[in-house]
Amino acid sequence: MDLGFKGKVALVTGAGSQKGFGKEIALTLAREGCEAVVVTDVVDDLEQTAADVKKTGAKSLAVKADITNQAAVEAMVKKALGQFKKIDVLCNVAGAILQKDFMPIDTQNTDTWKKQMDLNLFGMMYVSRAVVPQMREMKHGAIVNIGSGSTHQFKMGVQVYAISKYAIDLFTKQLAYVEGKYGIRCNCIAPGPAPTNFGAVLREGQQGPPPSPEQMAKMREGMMAEFPLGRMGTPADIANISVLMASEATSYITGQIIQVSGGNVME
Amino acid sequence: MDLGFKGKVALVTGCGSQIGFGRQIALLLAKEGCDAVAVTDIIDDVQKTADELKKLGKKSIAVKGDITRQADVQSLVKKVMDEFKRIDILCNVAGGMANRVPFQDSKPEDWDKDFHLNVTSIMLTTQAVLPIMRQQKYGSIINIGSGSTRMYGHGVGNSYAMSKSMVDTLTKQTAFNEAKNGIRCNCVAPGPAPTNFLPGPNKEEMIGMLAKSIPLGRGATQTDIANATLFFASEMSGYITGAILHVSGGSVLD
Repeated sequence: MDLGFKGKVALVTGAGSQKGFGKEIALTLAREGCEAVVVTDVVDDLEQTAADVKKTGAKSLAVKADITNQAAVEAMVKKALGQFKKIDVLCNVAGAILQKDFMPIDTQNTDTWKKQMDLNLFGMMYVSRAVVPQMREMKHGAIVNIGSGSTHQFKMGVQVYAISKYAIDLFTKQLAYVEGKYGIRCNCIAPGPAPTNFGAVLREGQQGPPPSPEQMAKMREGMMAEFPLGRMGTPADIANISVLMASEATSYITGQIIQVSGGNVME
Repeated sequence: MDLGFKGKVALVTGCGSQIGFGRQIALLLAKEGCDAVAVTDIIDDVQKTADELKKLGKKSIAVKGDITRQADVQSLVKKVMDEFKRIDILCNVAGGMANRVPFQDSKPEDWDKDFHLNVTSIMLTTQAVLPIMRQQKYGSIINIGSGSTRMYGHGVGNSYAMSKSMVDTLTKQTAFNEAKNGIRCNCVAPGPAPTNFLPGPNKEEMIGMLAKSIPLGRGATQTDIANATLFFASEMSGYITGAILHVSGGSVLD
C-alpha cells in the first residue's frame, strides 16, 4: 500500500531511546517514503536515531530538546522548519512514567503529579502548538499522539501517569474536532505493555535484589496468560499503526483512540 | 507498506453493489497481493466484481447466496474451501438498513429485519469460517459496523443503529474468545458514504448536506473504508484485536 509519504516531512518526539516506540516510528516513516524525519529527545542517543534514519536514504536532523521547556520546544520546531520548511506529520511520542503504584490520595506527592503532567501532557501541548499553525497554513497535517492502555487498566497500578494519558485522549479528540476544518487530523495510539525502557521505573525502589532471568520469565508468563493474544506488543506493532494514521491512507480518520494491546483493552 | 498478503485467501461478503464498500475492499485486497478473493452477495452483479478481480490477474469466485440463511452460508464456505483450500481473511461487509419505519410505529417484525440482515448474517459467516481459521491457527475477521451507533435524532434507523451496536459487541466477543487460536477480529465503522445505503439518485447531495457537520468536511469514500479494512486484515495490525475504528471524518469522537 502506498502511504503517500513522498515529499513529506515528519517530526518525531521521544526518539532517543534505542528500543523505544519513537525510534521505530521514525525509521518506519523513513522506510515508507518520507523525505525527511526530524527526531528530538532529551538524551544523547538521539544522534544514533538520526544516523539510522539516514541509512534508509531519508534526510534526518536530530535536535536535542527538553520537552518540558516551552522555549526549548519552540526553538526545536523552529530549527526543524528552518531546515525542511514544513512539518506534514507530527508524532508525539515523548513521555515517561515517574511514579509506580496507586497510593492513598493523602500520601501523594504533589510535585510528582505536576512533573508527570508537565512531561506527558504539557510537553505534547508545547510541541503541538508550535507545529499546528504552519499545518493550518498548508491546509493539511497529521498528528499522532501516543496514549496508553493504562487508561483502562486499573490493575497496572499507575495513577497519575494514567491520568496524564487520559488527558491525551481528550486532547486528541479536541484537536481533531477544532482543527479538522484546516485539514489537520489527530489520532491517538494507545500501546499495551511492550519491552521498552518503560518498565525500569516500575521496578525502581522495589525491595531486595532484582529478579533473576528465570523469575522475570515467570512473571512475564503470568502476565501474558491474561493477554488474549498471549504476547507483549513490539515497537513495530506500535510503529505500523502510528505510521498508517500519519498517512494519506487514513485521510478520513480523525479523533480516534486505537488500543494496540493484544485485546487487553476493549472499550 | 507491504501488507503481507502474498499467498492469502480472502472472503468478502456484500460485494454485489458496484458502488459499495465490499467491492472496493475485494479489489484492494487483490491489488495489495492476496492470491485469491472470493466474493458473495444476493444479487447477480457479484459476478461483475469477480470478473474484475480476475482482470487483475487474481483468482476469484463469485458465489450468489443469501448469507442470512445458514444453508447458503455453509454452501458458500464449502465452495470457497473446495476452490482455494483456506480462508485467511473474512470481511463481513454485507448489511443495510432494512427497517425505515420510525420507532413509534415499528413492529417487532420490522426490527427483526435489521437484526437478521446485520447481525445474524455475521453470526452465520463467522460460525462457518472460525473452525477453518482455528485449524490454520490464523485468521483475521473484519466486521463493518457503523457510525450510526453514536449518532442520534435521525427519526428512522433505530433498529439499524442497534443492530450495528450488536456488531461492535460481537466483534469484541469474537476477538476475546478466538485470540488464543491466533484469530483477530476488528470492526470498521464508516461514516456517511455515497453507497446504496443512501436511497435514491441524489447521494452526493445528501452527503454534501451531512458534510457541513463533519469536522473533516466531507463524506467517506469507498477507499477510506477499504484502506482501514485492509490494515486490520493484514499482519501489520497483528497486535490489534477487538477494536472499533470509526472512519467518519471526526463525526464520532467517543
